Amino acid sequence: MFRSSSLRLAALYTAGFALSVVALGAISLITTEAALRRMFDDRIAAESASLIQEYRTEGREGVVQAVRERDRTPGALDYGLQGADGRAIAGRLAGARAPAGWSVLSMGAAREDAERTRVLAARLPNGERLLVGDDVDRTEALNDELVRRLALAFVGVVLLGVAGGWGLSRGVHRRIASITGTAQAIIDGDLTRRVPAARAADDLGSLAATLNRMLDRIGVLMESVRQVSNDIAHDLRTPLTRLRARLEASLRAGDRAERVEAIEGALADLDAILGTFAALLRIAQIEGGARRAAFRPVDLAELSRTVVEAFAPSAEDAGQSLQLRAEGPLLAEGDPELLTQMLVNLVENGLRHAGPNARVEVRCKRAGGAPVISVVDDGPGVPAAERERLFDRFHRLETSRSTPGSGLGLALVAAVARLHGAEASLDDAAPGLACLVTFQTPG
Amino acid sequence: MLRLQTCIPALVAERLPTCRERARRLPGACQKPAKTCHGLPAPSTPLAPFAWRGESGAMKLLLVEDDAQAAAFLKRALAEAGHTVDLAASGRDGLLLAAGEAYDVIILDRMLPHLDGLAILRTIRASKVKTPVLILTAMGGIDDRVEGLEAGGDDYLIKPFAFSELLARVNALARRPPTSDVTTTLRVADVEMDLLKRTLTRAGERIELQPREFQLLEFLMRHAGRVVTRTMLLEGVWDFHFDPKTNIVDTHISRLRGKLDRGHSRELIHTVRGAGYCLREP
Repeated sequence: MFRSSSLRLAALYTAGFALSVVALGAISLITTEAALRRMFDDRIAAESASLIQEYRTEGREGVVQAVRERDRTPGALDYGLQGADGRAIAGRLAGARAPAGWSVLSMGAAREDAERTRVLAARLPNGERLLVGDDVDRTEALNDELVRRLALAFVGVVLLGVAGGWGLSRGVHRRIASITGTAQAIIDGDLTRRVPAARAADDLGSLAATLNRMLDRIGVLMESVRQVSNDIAHDLRTPLTRLRARLEASLRAGDRAERVEAIEGALADLDAILGTFAALLRIAQIEGGARRAAFRPVDLAELSRTVVEAFAPSAEDAGQSLQLRAEGPLLAEGDPELLTQMLVNLVENGLRHAGPNARVEVRCKRAGGAPVISVVDDGPGVPAAERERLFDRFHRLETSRSTPGSGLGLALVAAVARLHGAEASLDDAAPGLACLVTFQTPG
Repeated sequence: MLRLQTCIPALVAERLPTCRERARRLPGACQKPAKTCHGLPAPSTPLAPFAWRGESGAMKLLLVEDDAQAAAFLKRALAEAGHTVDLAASGRDGLLLAAGEAYDVIILDRMLPHLDGLAILRTIRASKVKTPVLILTAMGGIDDRVEGLEAGGDDYLIKPFAFSELLARVNALARRPPTSDVTTTLRVADVEMDLLKRTLTRAGERIELQPREFQLLEFLMRHAGRVVTRTMLLEGVWDFHFDPKTNIVDTHISRLRGKLDRGHSRELIHTVRGAGYCLREP
């Protein structure tokens, strides 16, 4: 809890806030004090000016009377009238020795609780001195009161900050702890664990949701990797078993010709296994996506022509026909080598599964500006429910288990298509199957 | 079909060395049983000069390979094919030998301890050694091949490979005609190919070929007398750098044969069993 980043943040924030309260308090204190003092002085100066005015209207006697009268009024200022030589005439301050102008006098200097008085000494027109003053401690009491209240506010702020920070960080900490706990559980092997869903739709809530989505995705990938390794194990075990059997047979073979036959069979099995490996590695390499650097403009129609010309004679020998239908060049950005391999796989797939006397056609065209290559056969086709899975690794229809093939051909087609931002799909060609690769519209 | 002694011993040597060893100790030992491993009549003279070097002659090869077992096997098989093989087990030895001796072909493993095969190749090329280099590699990526060729390699072979493939490629490299780019006419026996007019005659008679058949024949003629494998043809003629499952090469060869050899008593295109094809005078 004490190593919680939210608590540390809350503490820092509270400290910063408290500091700013102190600074604010200091500033207002200084300002208030200055303002109070000015008001204090203004009052004394106004009092002094009004008495001098009194002298002008009422004469000396009026002033003496006013001083005496005001001295008796509680809460009023202190007054004093002195002769030009400083002798006391009237008022409480009459005995004070104050210089001309502003000064602060200590009344009854001997005592500890000496009253400090701010005094303004002015001269009446007749040369006598008029002293007006007030108790300084009254402004200081006001100041002290202000300081006390500011200190209370400060304590309040700090208490609120600490309590709020504590509460806030406890909540955040609890939620982060639940994420940490989930991660730890996953590290320990429980891949099904997920971060509990948050009630609040805040950033931590969206973090938890994102983490859960990531975990789901990883789960799917792990599952597909597991599936692939199972498939590899299964699909390689069969030829490996055959290979082993043949090699054992070659050991037992009494006849030389028999032995050679077994070894040649073993080599053929080995080549088939290596072919599967090569296809898997190729798919993995393509899915790594590192090949995009080699992209350049490619004429898909030209590539198709090369492939069709290469495979047409074999198809004819097998009683099938392979044809190209292309209207002029069909340009796309891509890797010519991979695209060629993709086309070869599509054509071989069509020829292999469409059966004898099948007609396979490679079509190059544009659909809404996007280049589309399709390989259409008139074979038995594939049920709609089965079609999507044909692009999975090692997926083979039960009906085609008996025909040769690794089950990787269309997986490679899908991988090459994805690398090119194209989409590989299957469609019903009634009666046959149409494999389509739809590229993105250029630009 | 090539006559026995022209094609079989390599495969016998590759797959059944014990038989060859026996044959060497006791000439004629392989004559019984009467059929060889390949169901063909046994060679009458098992020690007859090796077919594939019949015209290329014994070559001096440098093999740079760190895996002792693979190196020993390759060296023995190449030696049995009639070649002299120097073996370098490390990149440094390979560099020293390549710089100091004259070889017909260097066979270079790409992954060597301490020193990358491509680094060696670049060093060799930087020191103006123009010996053809065949790169062997366990890395089969497209970029790996391009990298290898850009570093100065002449050919690229991915492990694992059939020994016949290696031998064919080594032969092809050793005898790469240096003036191929200025040659305008190719001649083998009574076949004449005009590369500029893209015309072909046999015994003075014009033969019409499809463009791809023309390319195929051109490739065979440029490698006349040497075995070319199906993979070499796929790469050289179709630019296919992968193995289609359909045997398209055989189909095209058979069509080409139909046009080239039909009506002529002497067949020029020969099948080398387990390896590929060879265009040669009978």
